[in-house]
Amino acid sequence: MTSPAPIVRQDSRIQRFFLRHEWARGYALLSPTLAVMVLAMCLPVFMLAAHSFWTQNYLTIDETFTLANYEQALGWLWGAEGAKPIYIRLLWKSMQISFGVTVTTLILAYPFAYFLAFKVRRNKNLWIILISVPFLTSYLLRVFTWKIILGFNGVINSGLMSLGIISEPLEFLLYNPTAVLIVLAHAWAAFAILPIYVSLEKIDRSLLEAATDLGDGPFRRFWRITWPLSVPGVIASGLLVFIPTVGDYVTPKLVGGTEGIMIGNIIQSQFGKANNWPLGSALSIVMAIAITIVVLIFLYVMSLGRVRAK
Amino acid sequence: MNCIKFVDRMAQGRVARRDMIRAAAAFGVGVTAMPVHVRASDQITVFEWSGYDIPELMPGYAEKHGSPPDFAIFASEEEAFQKIRTGFKCDVMHPCTYSVYQFKDGGMTVPVDTSKLSNWPNVIPALQTAEGVVIEGAVHMVPTDWGNSSVIYRTDMVDPAFQHDESWGILFDETYAGKIAPSDGESNIEIAGLLIGLDRNQIFRMTDEQLEQVRPLLEKQAKIARFYWSDPSEFGQAMAAGEVVAAYAWNEAVKSLTEQGIPVKYANPKEGIFTWLCGLSALNTGEGDSAMVHDFIDAWISPEAGKFLIEEYGYGHSNKVAFEIASPESLAALGFSTDPSEMLADGILFQPLVGELNDKYVNFFNDIKANAAI
Repeated sequence: MTSPAPIVRQDSRIQRFFLRHEWARGYALLSPTLAVMVLAMCLPVFMLAAHSFWTQNYLTIDETFTLANYEQALGWLWGAEGAKPIYIRLLWKSMQISFGVTVTTLILAYPFAYFLAFKVRRNKNLWIILISVPFLTSYLLRVFTWKIILGFNGVINSGLMSLGIISEPLEFLLYNPTAVLIVLAHAWAAFAILPIYVSLEKIDRSLLEAATDLGDGPFRRFWRITWPLSVPGVIASGLLVFIPTVGDYVTPKLVGGTEGIMIGNIIQSQFGKANNWPLGSALSIVMAIAITIVVLIFLYVMSLGRVRAK
Repeated sequence: MNCIKFVDRMAQGRVARRDMIRAAAAFGVGVTAMPVHVRASDQITVFEWSGYDIPELMPGYAEKHGSPPDFAIFASEEEAFQKIRTGFKCDVMHPCTYSVYQFKDGGMTVPVDTSKLSNWPNVIPALQTAEGVVIEGAVHMVPTDWGNSSVIYRTDMVDPAFQHDESWGILFDETYAGKIAPSDGESNIEIAGLLIGLDRNQIFRMTDEQLEQVRPLLEKQAKIARFYWSDPSEFGQAMAAGEVVAAYAWNEAVKSLTEQGIPVKYANPKEGIFTWLCGLSALNTGEGDSAMVHDFIDAWISPEAGKFLIEEYGYGHSNKVAFEIASPESLAALGFSTDPSEMLADGILFQPLVGELNDKYVNFFNDIKANAAI
């Protein structure tokens, strides 16, 4: 009787451990994902953070702790000697462009999502597939397509010229910040449409009926029912578009010309040509923190607004 | 949208445990069933400029070893350097005299045994001993191709007087605002240095004061440039359309635009024309066979490869016999004589920007670009 007892007890001890501690069950279930996250996300970010406190010494990296990279990136704010304003001003400008992209994308995406949620009755899946069709081609190809549309001998210019509206091709279409904005707004459209669509789709139709019964016209009904209930989707879309576009460097490089450069281009150059990984890392981290601050302010303002509305 | 529905149900806690496990299992099976890229190859890997990855430039190699080497393509030496440094395995790389030093300093290059190269004796003597080819007494880069960097311009759209007074100044001239395309690189600093009268050696080691002297020129250029190109096709298309009338260019652009019937001319600027010399370096970062690496390099410096390079690309080749067998028309069209040494001696050979100097130039140019953008 005594010999099998320990085995049973051991088994049950593990079982009991998992039964007793909910967090352990949670982590056990999460562990594959967690492992991937740690390896593919945290480790690189940690390396980035570590690099930002080191110094590049031609081909080797000096691993003594220093804040010099941050001083170079941000020093202008407190007037550090030799610090240049370009990084901060470029970051600010990138954020402005991204903000423009976000607003443009949301304005274009909302009516589309609304149409999809309320007006399309049949073949909804087909419509959703149609939204994602541009994603079947590579991003580079889509940028080049925009170059064909906006270009000197492009679709718009040759169209306007053949109609006799202009005699010389318009040069302001391509190679400036506006071109970057147009291309990015198009590229991120699907990321904005889908979250808004989901939040609109979830709205209980009986609420809309009730509003109509109580005498709301279409506009008031939209403003009092549909819009407030879709705000979470709009916020999600806004963040999905704003956060990645601040650091984009391919689009400005291809269609931005000399005025359309963004902070991503400078960071990329630090990791490439300039061969200064530590400074590039510091700039990346400054950018990430700056974006986080902007996003937090945005969320705080939004939550204030909602509290007030209640 | 089953996926969205599933996520919604999951969020609301309405997914049964079995459904969840089934979905997770399906995902797992899907992931493991994806083909893993495994390909055993006994070929060497060559890291090349785009356009150089064709068998005509290495005649005989594929016949001898069964197939052409595996190619990987880079757009700039810095990009290639970073990729190799972070673990990319390749056996041969194609740097230039000004960029080979960082590969050597990074401990990546291995000296080439020229006695194993049957075509080495026919390499132009001046190139055999050029700085950057020979580093610390050993050949770290076998010279293969060379050419110029100069201004290419539309003869029908640029003031005819320019043809008699060709100058780098056109890339800084506000008469052509919005119609010029400099390259996206530090060569702009060197050109501006020539324009303020620095000599051909000093432009590669400018002092801080001299950099400040060229700053106004470069800031003006950043304002009036249509774009800085990083791939020749960018300005090629823009020039064909008439969008750009003058650009920084390599010889090859002249040939391809002329063939499209575009009236262009390659300037011989009064301040001097640049010359670049590139070659093949054997690297220790690959897993290929050293004998195959030598065969590959030997094929590249053969006269037949040179004939092809001269006739099809309009670049110079390192093998002097190539100039004798290339068609005289194409040599004449490119302005090459059968003896290229003179041309090589006339040009301003690009010099390496090593270490701090590179940082200084790159950051200075980044500054100019960023200031133009804000």
